Amino acid sequence: MTNEETKKIALDSLKDAILNYDTEEAQKAAQAIVDQGVDPKVAINEAVLGASTTLHERFERGECFIPHLVMAGDAMEAAGKVLESAIPKEQITSKKVVVIGTVEADLHSVGKNIVAMFFRSGGFEVHDMGVNVKAGSFISKAVDTNADIIALSSLLTTTRPYMREVIEEMESVGVRDKFKVIVGGGPITPEWAEEIGADGYGTDAYEGIEVAKKLLGIS
Amino acid sequence: MLSLLDIAERTQKGPKINENAWNMGLFRKMNELTEKYQLHYPKDNPVFNCDDNLADRAFQAAVDFLVETGIYCISTGRIIQLTRNEVLNTIKGMPKQVTIGEGKDARVLKQRRLEEKEELNHCPGHHAPFTEELAPLVVKNFAEIPTADYIEGINFPVVDGREIFGLPMEVYAGKREATWMRQGVAKAGRPGMAIAYYPINTRAAVMLAPINREVGLRPSDGILLSVLPDVKVEQDYLTTAIVWEEYGGFKLNGNGAGYVGGFCGGLGGAIIEAIVAILTGWIVYRDIASWGGIFSSSAYASSKEIPVNSTDVWASSVWAQALHRHTNYIIFMATGSHSGPGCENQLLELAYRAISIPINGTNVYISRQFRARMNASQSPLEQEWLYEVAAAVMHSDVNRQSAGDLVMKIGEKLRGKVIEAPYHDIREFYDLAQHRPLPDYEKVYLKVKEEISALGLNFD
Amino acid sequence: MISLLDIAERTQKGRKMPEDAWNMSLFRKISELVKRYEIPNYTKDTPFLNLDDDLPERAFHAGVDLLVEHGVYCITTGRVVELSRDEVLGVVRESPKEILVGTGKDARVMKQRKVEGKEPLNFCPGHHTPFTQDLAPIVVKNFAQIPRTDFIEGFNFTEVDGHEIFGAPIEAYASRRQVSWMREGVRKAGRPGLSIVLYPITTRAEVLTAAIDPVDGLRSGDGILTSVLPDEKIEHDLLATAIAGEDCGLWRISGSFSMVGGFCGGADGAIVEGIAKPLTAMICYRAFVNYTGVENVSTVSALSIPLQPLNWARSVVNQTLNRFTNTICMAWIIPTSGPGTESNLLEVAFRTIEATINGANLYAPRHSRARMNAGQTPVEAEFMVEVSDATLAAGLDRQRGGELLSRLTQKLEGRQPEPGFTIQECYDLVNHRPSPDYERIHQQVKEQLTELGLVFP
Repeated sequence: MTNEETKKIALDSLKDAILNYDTEEAQKAAQAIVDQGVDPKVAINEAVLGASTTLHERFERGECFIPHLVMAGDAMEAAGKVLESAIPKEQITSKKVVVIGTVEADLHSVGKNIVAMFFRSGGFEVHDMGVNVKAGSFISKAVDTNADIIALSSLLTTTRPYMREVIEEMESVGVRDKFKVIVGGGPITPEWAEEIGADGYGTDAYEGIEVAKKLLGIS
Repeated sequence: MLSLLDIAERTQKGPKINENAWNMGLFRKMNELTEKYQLHYPKDNPVFNCDDNLADRAFQAAVDFLVETGIYCISTGRIIQLTRNEVLNTIKGMPKQVTIGEGKDARVLKQRRLEEKEELNHCPGHHAPFTEELAPLVVKNFAEIPTADYIEGINFPVVDGREIFGLPMEVYAGKREATWMRQGVAKAGRPGMAIAYYPINTRAAVMLAPINREVGLRPSDGILLSVLPDVKVEQDYLTTAIVWEEYGGFKLNGNGAGYVGGFCGGLGGAIIEAIVAILTGWIVYRDIASWGGIFSSSAYASSKEIPVNSTDVWASSVWAQALHRHTNYIIFMATGSHSGPGCENQLLELAYRAISIPINGTNVYISRQFRARMNASQSPLEQEWLYEVAAAVMHSDVNRQSAGDLVMKIGEKLRGKVIEAPYHDIREFYDLAQHRPLPDYEKVYLKVKEEISALGLNFD
Repeated sequence: MISLLDIAERTQKGRKMPEDAWNMSLFRKISELVKRYEIPNYTKDTPFLNLDDDLPERAFHAGVDLLVEHGVYCITTGRVVELSRDEVLGVVRESPKEILVGTGKDARVMKQRKVEGKEPLNFCPGHHTPFTQDLAPIVVKNFAQIPRTDFIEGFNFTEVDGHEIFGAPIEAYASRRQVSWMREGVRKAGRPGLSIVLYPITTRAEVLTAAIDPVDGLRSGDGILTSVLPDEKIEHDLLATAIAGEDCGLWRISGSFSMVGGFCGGADGAIVEGIAKPLTAMICYRAFVNYTGVENVSTVSALSIPLQPLNWARSVVNQTLNRFTNTICMAWIIPTSGPGTESNLLEVAFRTIEATINGANLYAPRHSRARMNAGQTPVEAEFMVEVSDATLAAGLDRQRGGELLSRLTQKLEGRQPEPGFTIQECYDLVNHRPSPDYERIHQQVKEQLTELGLVFP
């Protein structure tokens, strides 16, 4: 078997383990990749993030559900830890961090959950604040976790202003430039996003992820 | 006049400031205004203020504070800014009298004049904790006091056998409080008596829960919506104020006070803060009446000796005079005691405070022990005593000068005395079934009454 | 029946569990129950409306077991509310099959319907959608004028008296205004006692309860929306509101549908959750009227027109609830196209036929991704009633109904959702009638449905 073939088998094993939501197998496959001397960065890009694309497509087709994204995320995280241990520290690109939640006085969660799972399975580190989250809490979390993105959801026309409040609060405490803000949800429109000074808007989870990646300059 | 929606909007849009910065800013401003308006304790050590000009200056200082500093909303960390026109126009809208309660039990709360002999308005209780099994009977006893105009609610830790913890249970407890109050006043033969809701806690949902025209709070009832110390307001109260405004109920400020030694600084700052607190209660919540006065913070820190401080009496008189001379506001004097009910010291403390009531043009408010204890903070007797003394002051032709002498004499009786609270349950010293003190307590009462009478007060 | 105070206490004392652990545990439990009770997977041969009469009973037991073995989660306290089998079955047994809503001549009885039943359905024509305050009373009047209206739900708006609605104080004020406009609107329609259901401006308890006022606000006979959250979750603001409403004689309605693709899994898991959720609503909020069924994220995000397996899954859920519980089911009709379009009316027809045969009452047809003033018009609501009556008149049972739906599907396949029009663009609010263009579309759709077998008078 050629080196290329061995490499392909190793990468496919890892991808399959993730797509089978098997954390243990994913860890083993990641270790095998490291042991075989396959470039771990290639493994992250091709196997781990490649699995993510497949998962999103499956979700769209209704072939997998949120819990599967959670399990796949666990498997990715486990594999990621093994692979990163084989990358010299100075070469590690740390994960992009997202703080996500539904704004104050709003309890809707479904869309937000999906976006959170997409981020996670897309290789982001995700901190899901839940629902009815005050502006200050979003910001504290973003500061504590050194986040890249704050993602805000609202499903009631009347809770949209709390998105604006988050941005204003960020300005008043002097952290506006530290985090990108993306917004989404039923009553949210691109015009609203622009009006409140958000950095991005997504009609749905898929668009949201792409917008986030573009804002952060990652493909 | 500024609307409550305008206020609500300003709590969302006003300039941001963190709370510590607000507190220190308040301190600096109070000091500045105290100096600007020369609000110092006079060298001749009066007990009651006789300098009308000083009262006027105190009022101006309060208006300046509102215009130059504003009011702080702790929910949003923003300042409600006001123009001079807005403050003065809104103050003009204060009512001089308000009808509360309904039917034969309707009463009129009004601004009284300084040193005058008009009838006193009276809230006898509670603002104190009682257990649920005692609730309606206790309320009945207080509502039976003939001079009572309205009655305030009670607090309790358990409802229907369950601990009151968590919003759902608190909402339920809020409703139950109103129901028991309603039952209590009805049992006292005063079904239309106004009830002022005492918050189980200060979440808006809990304060709105008791609204119910049939078994809860009616539009002829009221609610306590207090300005917080250091000129602060908050959105749960404001939400409640907006709803109550529409509903028609009256609102009361349970904190028209200044605290010497707090962020307001010294005596001058406390006077300014106390006036500002009253104005703020009206502007932000439309509170139509308030209890208040000036207190020394250090007095509250003590748990040993009964504090006796005539400068507080003087400062409270400045506060009351300033409000009388420049507003229509209806004020109740802050009364209460460090000692617990059932003992001589407490009755003396209440007598000490009662002198100020008619002299300052204020009304009679709840007399409970400051550090309230479950089922043991008050009984109807102390309240009736407080009223008796205040009425006796009116009937005895006491003015600001002679009232000062009285206060000093009673003060001497209290000086050095220890705070005591001999009983642990109202049933140990008061017969709730017969609406009278138990014999031992009655003896104490009669003894103190004789002592005070000997100072020149006419109780007949 | 277990009391709301018992529930409140259990939210404070139940065992603690982090929310993501709850979510995954729910998924595993539902997957286990799907296997245990052999809830089948959807296949391309699965009919539009369930014909397997044994399946609802198994699904019912799965729903009950979910509550008994897994409980309900309080997101406010992060604790599990555990329930015994007796408690769950107690509520199933003792909850009412019908409730009286509204007052005086406008009082109506909301009832549980039978699967393939023959009686006309209960009906809420609107709103649950945003309208600007200038339109409010006249819009409400138009909807309340629809003769078959049994109750009417409130609406959302962004400004009140010139102030942006932002912050609890103004939200509470707006909540009261919503109801007072609703009251004005129903009076103008000559139906002063019509039951009004408060639609949350926000879900804070004080905002919901601020609207309670027998003179100008919510009174006994009116209702309030207190929905169970996805994944079998409840929370304190809604529970407090339920307790407050209980005291004041307000009935409650819960949005109790499940979502395929969420933590319940696929259509099979969504069936189990779709049965457990209304039971949860009855137990935890005393909400005896529920809009029930199964949706998908794409339904509520208006990205594509959802068809199977949702139709089949919804029919299983509604059949189960109607046969084994007293739940008064409402079908929430949420077309992915906006008002004034053919697609909208076709989708409304589709879901209405399904609801009628499944025994679900009819609820507020509005665009799933409603825009300001563009969520609905009275046309869709009146059309819903027309279609429902026509379905009854055609005597459709599940078999024939499913076949009709299959043919109707062909008209929807390949269509993309359209945004539609604002109410002012396609409806005459003064004269209570659609614009000529919209009326033409309405008649065309009726013709298409007649060709498919519905019997319009």
